[in-house]
Amino acid sequence: MKRRDFIQRALCATASSAMFTSFAGKLSLAHAAATSGKRLLGNDYRALVCVYLYGGNDGFNMLVPRSTAEYNQYATSRGNLALPSANLLSLNPSVAPIGGASFGLNPAMPLMRDLFNQTQSPLAIATNVGPLLYPITKAQYEAESVPVPKQLFSHIDQNVTWLQTRADAIDRHGWGGRLADMFHTSNANQQLSMNISIDGENVFQAGEDVFPYFVGEDGARGLDDVPVWRTNRRAAFTALRDAAHGNALQRQYASVVRRSMDNQVMVADALDGESALATTFPDSPLGRKLRMVARLINVRGGLQMQRQIFYVGLGGFDTHDNQLSDQADRLGELDAALAAFHAATAEMSVDNSVTTFTASEFGRTTSVNGDGTDHGWGSHHLVMGGAVNGRRIYGTPPNLTVEGPDDAGWGQIIPTTSVDQYAATIAGWYGVPAGDMSTVFPNIGRFESADLGFLS
Amino acid sequence: MKILFYRLALAATILVFPIQTWAGDHVFDSGFDDQAEGPHSDAEAARFLTQATFGPTLTEISRLRALGYNAWIADQAAQPASHEREYMEDLENAGLDVYQSARQEAWWRHAITGPDQLRLRVAFALSELFVVSDQSGDAGGQPIAMGNYYDLLTDNAFGNYRSLLEQVTLSPIMGHYLSMFKNQKPDTAANIRPDENYAREVMQLFSIGLVRLNADGSLQMSGGQPVPTYGQDTIRGFAHVFTGWNYANCPRNQGGQSWEWEYCPSGPVDWPNPGWNASWFLPMESWENYHASAEDKQLLDYPGVNLPNGLLSGGGTAASDLGAALDNIFQHPNVGPFIARHLIKRLVTSNPSPAYVGRVAATFANNGVGVRGDLGATVRAVLMDTEARHLPSLASNGGKMREPLLRQTHLWRAMHATSNDSRYREWNSEIYLGQAALRAPTVFNFFLPDYSPPGELSALGLIAPEFQIVTDTSVASVANALGSKTFWYWLGNPWYSPEDVVVDLDTELPFANDPIRLIDRYDLLFMNRTMSDAMFTTLVNYVQGMPNVDTEDRRERVQDAIWLIQTSPEYVIER
Repeated sequence: MKRRDFIQRALCATASSAMFTSFAGKLSLAHAAATSGKRLLGNDYRALVCVYLYGGNDGFNMLVPRSTAEYNQYATSRGNLALPSANLLSLNPSVAPIGGASFGLNPAMPLMRDLFNQTQSPLAIATNVGPLLYPITKAQYEAESVPVPKQLFSHIDQNVTWLQTRADAIDRHGWGGRLADMFHTSNANQQLSMNISIDGENVFQAGEDVFPYFVGEDGARGLDDVPVWRTNRRAAFTALRDAAHGNALQRQYASVVRRSMDNQVMVADALDGESALATTFPDSPLGRKLRMVARLINVRGGLQMQRQIFYVGLGGFDTHDNQLSDQADRLGELDAALAAFHAATAEMSVDNSVTTFTASEFGRTTSVNGDGTDHGWGSHHLVMGGAVNGRRIYGTPPNLTVEGPDDAGWGQIIPTTSVDQYAATIAGWYGVPAGDMSTVFPNIGRFESADLGFLS
Repeated sequence: MKILFYRLALAATILVFPIQTWAGDHVFDSGFDDQAEGPHSDAEAARFLTQATFGPTLTEISRLRALGYNAWIADQAAQPASHEREYMEDLENAGLDVYQSARQEAWWRHAITGPDQLRLRVAFALSELFVVSDQSGDAGGQPIAMGNYYDLLTDNAFGNYRSLLEQVTLSPIMGHYLSMFKNQKPDTAANIRPDENYAREVMQLFSIGLVRLNADGSLQMSGGQPVPTYGQDTIRGFAHVFTGWNYANCPRNQGGQSWEWEYCPSGPVDWPNPGWNASWFLPMESWENYHASAEDKQLLDYPGVNLPNGLLSGGGTAASDLGAALDNIFQHPNVGPFIARHLIKRLVTSNPSPAYVGRVAATFANNGVGVRGDLGATVRAVLMDTEARHLPSLASNGGKMREPLLRQTHLWRAMHATSNDSRYREWNSEIYLGQAALRAPTVFNFFLPDYSPPGELSALGLIAPEFQIVTDTSVASVANALGSKTFWYWLGNPWYSPEDVVVDLDTELPFANDPIRLIDRYDLLFMNRTMSDAMFTTLVNYVQGMPNVDTEDRRERVQDAIWLIQTSPEYVIER
């Protein structure tokens, strides 16, 4: 039975129930019974935070080899863009990464270095992750004997591919949306979406049943000109909004306005009752967005939320030019904002319940176009939170040699870990049972493991 | 029912041309052939002006009715272009500091008052295709040169696409934005190869797109999959083509040495001396010793391609390679349907029929006298098509969401907004509208051309690009912005500075006595008389219930009517 059909039947079965909460409860129970895996958990709280790095972050200048042989490969490829070895912020992993090389972080990221190196570390790095349809070697790539995702190296397409995590999908649903389709009935609050974006529209959070709710970095915005006390104007506005519209675009617009107004009251009320966080956030675009995520988590009780998925973004990573200074600026902003966010989750005692991870449409070429790099394929990513098995570098760090064994051409590095695996590891922690993993990630069975081990 | 009776009776008495009834948009139509002879009603005129200008005014409705479509379009084509650079230099010459805010001023002033409305509206559509943005550092520091880039779009709005493509390609603004500026030939020793940025986006976004199209814009399929237009080899080929371009008038006294290339100034002397950035206003110039001449270059391969298998042989100059490569793009069969779809979506409807796209694409391919790429003829085909000129039924889901920026221009044109010195200090509309001219967050514009929001529209297979910037937050901020422009920024409000742009509501006040006349007036002005009876009734009843004792009461009636219309789903989706 299609999930939507099921929900519609459940709706009919409980249509006589006037109480919204009791309806939600019945739906949840019925739903849990009808699906194979456990979808409803206890009274705990879990949240995912996707930090999207727009433009394609150059992971190879974020995490850089320090051991001589690997550094020399890197330095040869990167030429004038190579970071001096002495400037790298040394990482001290508890287990040697595959290949045994040592690594350092970009000098713009001292706070992530500190998080990584501490005992009980909440920071792990997943190496050379990228969209794949199947595991693939360079020989297979060159012979075109194994299919690869469509439109590799194109911003829009790889953004969608990354966030769907299903490279051959024809829809535009993201894996955050699919998780929400599964888990949203866990929340007592069934009015406010469990998926909240502080960065507008995105593929990641779009599900079949659950659509993301958007707030700004200062919270939900209301319509100033129809306050409750303006009874008549508000009634006229609402009548025009809720009329039986004959055109589907009109209905869509009306539905967004309705949702905006309903949810704004709820979110604003909750934030009004917030006991302010002591943690200070950097006054940067990403700092302000992550501060809003922290505030929404802070009022999760008032909002009756037990499962949430947040989305924030940071732009400026498409460093075709002027990469050394531009990327350092962006990574510095990322560093400060992530560190503050982690501190805030610790202050709220939910650090073990919140997992933050980066995503970006692709990495960048190891070869150089002058003072920048072009669109690549695989890249490195950060995973942060109390449940993270930190202080470790996961996956197989690639050989960065141009025309080397991992180079698809011109320094576009073939991923050694698929986005499906990266995402499935996070989804597994979030509560998706192993038996249901292929529902969320239909291609996961093509890869060696659905659990890379960076979460417990 | 009473109101509806009045509505009909009223309509018969207040028309500019009372011989035709408002309900009879097509009473005098004998078929599809005579549409160029229209408009046959005020409503048809208003609807056309919604598509072809930054918003109808009563004056322009009358003028269009007097001229007819053909003469109106001919008149528009003959209007001299409004230039942003000129406006900005006037400010500069008056001793003012000029930043990107001055460019926004120029844009608003032209959108609200420019006589060359069609040209400007098409230029805005082109600015959402050939995207550059002041959000990027290098171009952002050159406000007047960015105004000049916009002027380039305005000047070529009715010109030829091939010529426009070359001017865009060689613009230092685009050169900086997509890093073709100072892009250089491969240096294998240093592991440096040509930058792929412009190569990729000129094909993906400005001309042909990622997949092969039929002549009517539908996708060509092979084995159930769309057929890619190019691969990575082609991107590399074009990346090599687009090498060897630097500022115009670089001193090359020492034979074009590397330091001369690297430190080429953008003008004869340094800031703030006059002319320090003169080369930002000139097409980039080629340096053969930085151009990848030797390599053969894989360009686009398609049926009927001029180059054998799309391969451009090595040995060309920077200019000859560029010319060959732009011809190779220009002749690709995708360009017509690709540009047709873009212009139709920006001006008329989000979901055109393939036949409509096909007719416009055919005009792009041949303007009737054998010329390919005639944008003037293409724009005319977009606007004068049967599908554009006939009001779509509600159930057909025709039309499109109005871009937030165009909702504000509409308000300001309809209500003759101005400031005491005719400057439009609308410097940061992106903050509340999510849009400002040449200020998209990325080269992908404010929204993607094929975006479809999840839910009913996706399920119906409908595209609605503008919905990508419709969020729970933005619906409120746009409504609030239009609210402040309507409720607070009006001529005569003592609370506001004379420098603020204000709407002139005085001419509206006499209508406030009679809610039916008032709403009917705005049905025409804002909704080309597509307002449903239910909406009409709701608004008349609401306004009727408002006080009507003094001028202030009447002003509030006008303001409420305008704002309620401008925030209603029936208005926001134009048909």
